[in-house]
Amino acid sequence: MHYLCQSNLVNVETLTLFELNQRVRGAIDEALPDKYWVRAEMSSVNVNAAGHCYIELVQKHPSGAGMVAKARATIWAGRFRMLRPYFEQATGQAFTAGISVQLLVTVGFHELYGLSFVVEDIDPTYTLGDMAQRRREILLRLEREGTIDLNKELPLPMLPRRVAVISSETAAGYGDFCHQLATNAYGFVFCPKLFPAVMQGDAVEATVIAALDAIAAEEENWDVVVIIRGGGAASDLVGFDTYLLAANCAQFPLPIITGIGHERDATVLDAVAHTSVKTPTAAAEFLIGRTAEAAARLEHLTDSLAAALTTRITAEKQRLQGLALRLPASFAVRKANETAAITLRLQRLRTAVGTLMAEQRHRLEVASKVLAGANPAVILRRGYSITYAPDGHAVRHAADLHEGDILVTRFADGEKKSIVTE
Amino acid sequence: MTYEEAIRQLDNIVRQIETGEMGIDQLTAQLKRAQELIAFCRDTLYKTDEEVQKLLQPETEK
Repeated sequence: MHYLCQSNLVNVETLTLFELNQRVRGAIDEALPDKYWVRAEMSSVNVNAAGHCYIELVQKHPSGAGMVAKARATIWAGRFRMLRPYFEQATGQAFTAGISVQLLVTVGFHELYGLSFVVEDIDPTYTLGDMAQRRREILLRLEREGTIDLNKELPLPMLPRRVAVISSETAAGYGDFCHQLATNAYGFVFCPKLFPAVMQGDAVEATVIAALDAIAAEEENWDVVVIIRGGGAASDLVGFDTYLLAANCAQFPLPIITGIGHERDATVLDAVAHTSVKTPTAAAEFLIGRTAEAAARLEHLTDSLAAALTTRITAEKQRLQGLALRLPASFAVRKANETAAITLRLQRLRTAVGTLMAEQRHRLEVASKVLAGANPAVILRRGYSITYAPDGHAVRHAADLHEGDILVTRFADGEKKSIVTE
Repeated sequence: MTYEEAIRQLDNIVRQIETGEMGIDQLTAQLKRAQELIAFCRDTLYKTDEEVQKLLQPETEK
């Protein structure tokens, strides 16, 4: 029995699967005879023992949810041996799942294996552009959210010696890093500790974030975080170009230093990290350099201390010497001043005394002249005489004399007695 | 004390001596302090302290 009406099926051919597939093959060959550039994301890439490369191509829905197309592609070993190094050298990116590619393909259909594209060429510039575009979008988002520079704005400790390292345990990069730190020429001591994470492929985002969380839980024990991986000829850095990882790093409370071995464009992780260098060895050198700066500053301070002390002590000594010198000097000045003052006073005194003496002498002269005029001897010589009464007093009034009184009259040249008669 | 704090203090002492802010009486005490700070910084730069040893210990026991 058939589902559909018998009459509709009268002219229907009956074929074997192989016959039908042959026709599909023919139809496809006829309809799609050319080569086409196809753009898609590689969801898986497998290289078998013979060197053939089998790729799963997908096209995701623009919203990111679900797929709108899927197909298989093959790069035959002979072609793959040339295309892979060409691609990886041009992009600095491993030919691996998770990246978008532009492939030159022919469309083929095999009766047994179904639809498959055969890849003849690859355009690395598309992948470069796509990766750059993805990074730009993530960076723009971080910028909008205001977190893009947060880690860069953290102060780098003067002495970054307690180093939390996020790397793969087996990676050569981690060994290089530790060796470089341990054998630094200055003899600085560093304390690196590994927080293991997967450093390539799909697990990068989740494991690196888990390691960051583990470090954040004991944040006070660490000065810096270093995220490193050994660089190969080409690196699979797509895992480092994710929004979640970048957002985590940007907002991490400790400065992050990256050395994830890229040769071209920096990853988003590098863009948000505090400091980004190319290799694990360079990351170690960065820490050593920073420490050397701190050591140089310490030496400089030590020298400055000695110099400041010397200067200060010399200055104090000079001050003391100056004081000691000024002490006698000030005495001498004082003494001279005093002497001068005394001399001045003496002179003034002398002058004053002289003046006084002259005045006195003058007055004395005047007085002696006056006195000379009053001298009785002088008056007697002029012809006057003095008569003394018997009681010895000079006679001033006639009435004082009585008859019989004997008077003595003094002249300039002698005395004569006389008797009062009337 | 952190290395940074030690450097800051040392810087301060040197500056005070240089500017003459520090009295000659304080000089001896501050010089002693400065020498302690320098020794601390040197140790931090060139010696692994116990604290850090402890930090790394659990990892080696695991």
